[in-house]
Amino acid sequence: MTAAVGSIAEAAIDPIRFEILAHRLWAIGEEGRIALQRVTASPIVAQGGECMCSFYDANGNMILACSGHLRFAAATSDAIKRIIDWFADDPGINEGDEFILNDPYVAGSHTYDIMQIAPVFWNGERVAWVASSSHTADTGGLLRGAATEIYHEGIRLLGLKIVEAGVFRDDVFKTVTEQCRDPEYVGMDIKSRTAANNVCRAGYLELLHRFGADFVEAAGRRLIDDSSRMAREKLTAIPDGIWRSRIYGTYRDPNTRAAVPYQIVCAATKAGDELTLDFTGSSGQIDNDQNSTLPSTMAHVMIALTNRLFWDLPWSDGKLDPVRVIVPEGSVLNCRFPAACGRSPRVGQYVVEAVSQCVSSMLFAAGERADVNAGWGSFWYLGGPGYFYGGHNSHGLPNPQGLYDTHGGGLGATPLRDGVPSGGQQNIPSGGISDIERIELQYPFLYLSRSHNVDGGAPGARTGGAGTQRLVIAYGSDDLTVDFTPYGGLPHGAWGLFGGHPTGTGGTRSLLAPAADVAARLQHGDYPVTADEAVAGGWAEVSVPSGNPGRMPVTEGWLLADFTQGGGGYGDPVERAEDLVAEDVRRGVVSAGQAERIFGVVGDASGSPDPAATAARRAEIRQARLAGKDPDVLEPGSGEWVPRVRFHESLEVGRFELAAGEVVRCVKCGHVLCDVSQNYKVHAARRVIPLAELAGRGLPDGGEYVGALAEYACPGCAVLLAADISCPDVSGEDDLWDVQLGS
Amino acid sequence: MTGDVRYTIGIDIGGTFTDLTMVTEQGAVQSTKAPTTPDDFSIGVMDALAEAARINGISLEELVRRTDVLKNGSTVATNALLTRRGARVGLITTRGFEDTIFIMRAVGRVDGLPAEEVRRVAYVDKPEPLLPRERVVGVHERIDAQGRVVVPINTGEVTVAIRRLVEDEGVDAIAVSFLHSWRVADHEQVVRRMIDEQYGDRNIFVSLSSDLSREAGEYARTNTAVANAFVGPAVHRYLERLSAQLSALGFSGRLLVMQGNGGLASIDHAAPISTLQSGPAGGMFGAALMSDSMKHRTVVTADMGGTSFDVGVLSDGVWKYADEPIFARLRMMQPIIDIRSIGAGGGTIARVDPITTRMSVGPDSAGAQPGPACYDAGGTEPTVTDCNLVLGYLDPDFFLGGRKSLSVERAERAIRTNLADPLGLSVLESAAGVFDIINSKMSDLIRREVVRNGEVPAECALYAFGGAGAIHATSWARELGMSRIVIANTSPVFSAHGIAMSDFLRTRLATLTYVAPFDPAQLNRDLDALENDLAMELAKDGFNGTPQFKRYVTMHFLRQTTGEEMPLPWERFDGETAGSVGELYVEHYRRLYGPGAAYEKSGLAMSRIRVDAVGSIDRRAADHTVVPTTLDEARHGSRRAHFDGDLVDTVVYRKDRIPAGSTISGPAILESELTTIVVAPGTSAAVDSLGNVVVTV
Repeated sequence: MTAAVGSIAEAAIDPIRFEILAHRLWAIGEEGRIALQRVTASPIVAQGGECMCSFYDANGNMILACSGHLRFAAATSDAIKRIIDWFADDPGINEGDEFILNDPYVAGSHTYDIMQIAPVFWNGERVAWVASSSHTADTGGLLRGAATEIYHEGIRLLGLKIVEAGVFRDDVFKTVTEQCRDPEYVGMDIKSRTAANNVCRAGYLELLHRFGADFVEAAGRRLIDDSSRMAREKLTAIPDGIWRSRIYGTYRDPNTRAAVPYQIVCAATKAGDELTLDFTGSSGQIDNDQNSTLPSTMAHVMIALTNRLFWDLPWSDGKLDPVRVIVPEGSVLNCRFPAACGRSPRVGQYVVEAVSQCVSSMLFAAGERADVNAGWGSFWYLGGPGYFYGGHNSHGLPNPQGLYDTHGGGLGATPLRDGVPSGGQQNIPSGGISDIERIELQYPFLYLSRSHNVDGGAPGARTGGAGTQRLVIAYGSDDLTVDFTPYGGLPHGAWGLFGGHPTGTGGTRSLLAPAADVAARLQHGDYPVTADEAVAGGWAEVSVPSGNPGRMPVTEGWLLADFTQGGGGYGDPVERAEDLVAEDVRRGVVSAGQAERIFGVVGDASGSPDPAATAARRAEIRQARLAGKDPDVLEPGSGEWVPRVRFHESLEVGRFELAAGEVVRCVKCGHVLCDVSQNYKVHAARRVIPLAELAGRGLPDGGEYVGALAEYACPGCAVLLAADISCPDVSGEDDLWDVQLGS
Repeated sequence: MTGDVRYTIGIDIGGTFTDLTMVTEQGAVQSTKAPTTPDDFSIGVMDALAEAARINGISLEELVRRTDVLKNGSTVATNALLTRRGARVGLITTRGFEDTIFIMRAVGRVDGLPAEEVRRVAYVDKPEPLLPRERVVGVHERIDAQGRVVVPINTGEVTVAIRRLVEDEGVDAIAVSFLHSWRVADHEQVVRRMIDEQYGDRNIFVSLSSDLSREAGEYARTNTAVANAFVGPAVHRYLERLSAQLSALGFSGRLLVMQGNGGLASIDHAAPISTLQSGPAGGMFGAALMSDSMKHRTVVTADMGGTSFDVGVLSDGVWKYADEPIFARLRMMQPIIDIRSIGAGGGTIARVDPITTRMSVGPDSAGAQPGPACYDAGGTEPTVTDCNLVLGYLDPDFFLGGRKSLSVERAERAIRTNLADPLGLSVLESAAGVFDIINSKMSDLIRREVVRNGEVPAECALYAFGGAGAIHATSWARELGMSRIVIANTSPVFSAHGIAMSDFLRTRLATLTYVAPFDPAQLNRDLDALENDLAMELAKDGFNGTPQFKRYVTMHFLRQTTGEEMPLPWERFDGETAGSVGELYVEHYRRLYGPGAAYEKSGLAMSRIRVDAVGSIDRRAADHTVVPTTLDEARHGSRRAHFDGDLVDTVVYRKDRIPAGSTISGPAILESELTTIVVAPGTSAAVDSLGNVVVTV
């Protein structure tokens, strides 16, 4: 019914003028963003693109967002609605005002997400809002890693007028900036958002002048309506069913200071033209800063849906119209005030991955293979020294807080090709990482390497793209510090598709104490380029601080090793062509050990694959998958096989002509696993591989892994159907039913 | 009788045509075209020369002998990059950073893609690299950001690296790029010497990143070194072939190459990669000359072709260089004139979305094959050209001077089926809609570029060129409040003409890391060093005169990571100007971003210096064109064309027969073989003595 009403309303709109207006609006937003990026002091904004200009109707519904960081666009709708609610009467919302807001319980992810929002007036009436938002990594408070309440996380603004009736308020500006460690940096960022809003508001006024307020308003409604309709159309094309995902992370237990695993679970129910995302079952909120507020969770849901499912829709609030989201209060995804949430973007990444996993599998079932990607966010482990720095650089300026090489992580494998190595990050699909030469002009580091992380992409028939690894020397600071978290012994944010592994096993995060003779050895034209090389070559030793402190000093000359996330794999690794594996080994993307252990490809002395040894090793792997499995023999049914939907690289649902019910069957060998009403994993051959065995190595601090890899293979042909991270401490012995298709 | 006429010839090899403009010592200008021959570009050039000789009734040998200077812009480098067909290149780089050109700062995945494609995040992949990972060799060496040697170069490894690349990998070109070589180039030069020593006899092309750029940013600088090596042999081969053919015909003049910086260099000393975008750069130089003679302070150039729409901006005759321009999806670090493009041209396709019934125009293009529906070559989707035909702006029988006839019926059918019926509009309304939408998109790009340069659209003169530019220009001008449109007489060969008129130009940009208060002595030393280098380069190019230097600085507030460039109004710094440069910058900044944006309290820094060294080549002002006709004789019937919602009887003129000094009020259409100028009602077109048309909106 709503669609019919929309059609009548939009019939009044001249399609040509509408199109011109829509493009003009987008262009204004881009002009605003360009201004913001050029004025800002944040490297992550200027070069990483972590910002957004967007437009809203008089009530705060998003009409259009431009390119940039999607989290902000989604969040600002909430912020505007709350500002109207709180301040419309007192002190009033007037022409020429601009509000500044950064309360993550209202909008955004953490206090560093700062939004500036300006109403647009036409003939004395408020007709729209423009917003410019970006990431400013300094709000005073405790440095990263130490907060346990939002009060520790610095200034929290619930909507102050930074500009009032067109006059920039120096009293507000001075009061806000001087709560921060680097007032000039924060001040420059405030100015950059004001500059962008000025561009956007002036452009919007021109639109009103040219098209008339009624037309602009109707066009805004249509933009929302269009994306709602297109979203429903997309959903209709997907078979009905329930898709489930589970993503793990770890947090620091405030009492024991040890790493504790937690989970994000998502059930995506697609029925007709609607989608429900239910996060019930996700772990409870945590007594440190690793929580997500509800606005942050919603914003990250929006990122995943926009990137994976609704990429070709106009970026307006309409696309969320057919989507319902359930997030239990008190969970890590909907923390209760005043829980700290500085690391909320990390939790947000898990939300993005959890939703992406469901959506990718849904798209496969809908036949949209080109848009299917495995995970973009898999770390073999997290913990150790992070990338949020304190102290000063050699110019005496405060160190820019974050170093966001994670914006160049590896991307997931697809049914059609391997994942892109060092391809980006979901928050800002068009973002990137900085040149090392530029970093070294600002940060107290001397890089010894930035290279693709060996074994950084997840194995699969199609492999995930590798992220990067780096080894740097602390160089030119008297007081450098870095955040530190306990090593969490299981893959974080990781998932693969249809037998592809959830994560690669490469990468080291550690602090290394240099040997005494490093300076002398450098003079001989030598240095290590990975943490392993540094240790093996006697350059340095891994140093683990006792007691897992929140932050730790980094002495001049010490080394820091880090790596970024890789992509998940697609399909069974032992089905990958052996010459492709050999080439990966030659290019240094995959180690010989991984090639043999996981891909089953054995190289001869020259590195070329040895066909006989490879065949033997692969047979051995398949055998091991089936070992101990007593396949339940299901009556295969009789008559012609009538497939209904192929929902998995190796599995499909259908029925035998003469049988009553639908069953799940292996595409490769025809083995019938179970009735469609049952979880195929329960009827597959299951084995569990300890993570230490998978990686062939332990954690940097010598600690134990807490998870394992659960493999599910077809009892008929041993093709790998799923490779899941399993962590019984959190989830019990549960075979996650990832695709449930009703008949 | 013409025995003494001497020529300067400008050549612009474009994707489809090789354009030629010849200028006599007296300033007489003539132009012609020949099809481009991508397998061997020199053939197209020789064809164009032969055609020019034929027009003048002289032999090719005669023409070549009378040519003093042949100035050549080409797409050889661009073509090699686009097709990924180039030299077998090896790269020697700092150990630990071998993956830099594959990591591509991650942003390489989306570089060079239109916004519509970028959004399809699960689908978009990185471009194919110019060389495989196996041909990258790292050697231990390290220079820090301040230029101090932290790790001396390991020459033993260099020897092995060179041998491996040459002997095992069989490379014919080696690129060298080390971290912070923009600051200290010693280690890169060591490698060059060692290649010379080891394989001096093998004619290996060597490309050092520090020779090509002195700016910080290793990804784009390394790409540039690699791309220079990749295209180098192809560019050299082309120039050698051309040079040999000219010599065989008795050519004794100078053969110069156009660079993307907007000026010339000698064929022996131009970096091959510097020739990227040399054609459009010629156009910008031509526009700069024209703005000088027409006294236009700010100019926006708009070039509308078949698939792309290119916009450039001139302020006081000065252009900016692009920050890390992207070619064939790869970021470069070269002084290349900042010209921005979107996919919008005659071939751009209009569609209606089946779900929302939204009409979109572009960015997809019908290209040359099958082309617009009206070409009747298999294209069924409506394009901008189809709409221009239906709207009466194009003459179906006089397209490309009548060499191609257009099918109105095909165009109408494509529009009716794909647009008019789904939208419930008439064919004419739909075509007018496409026209308005594409114009609006192009206006959005023009506006963005003008504003980005700190100028005001309404104050700019609009120079329109390209086949379709003068059909659409009035719409852009009206949208942006511009009052003057200039369509040069040479508009169909605007780049070739600009190249024919251009000077020697060497450009250097260098990263600085100075914080206020600035040291005038240090700044002067930097200027001295750059100007000395540039003067030497000009001398090597064969320029014997006194170079003119133009100086620019890029500054920023202390914590900002990007800055703005402004011209420096003095030659050298002293105690006073080292301070007042800051005030100058704050003023400049306010003009760009508005009064509240500057934040002096944060302090100022200087991040880049740019020096352009011009070596002027004598040229005559263009000759007057005398058309011995009256305006009535220039009339060529009339047809119905669409203006303001109606089809209106519109007088058509043959543009080349319009006498100088004529003013024509719209509605009118001025046609020549390669240009159609639409003069809308309420506007008027004046033709000057050079055949340029100025439309007053």
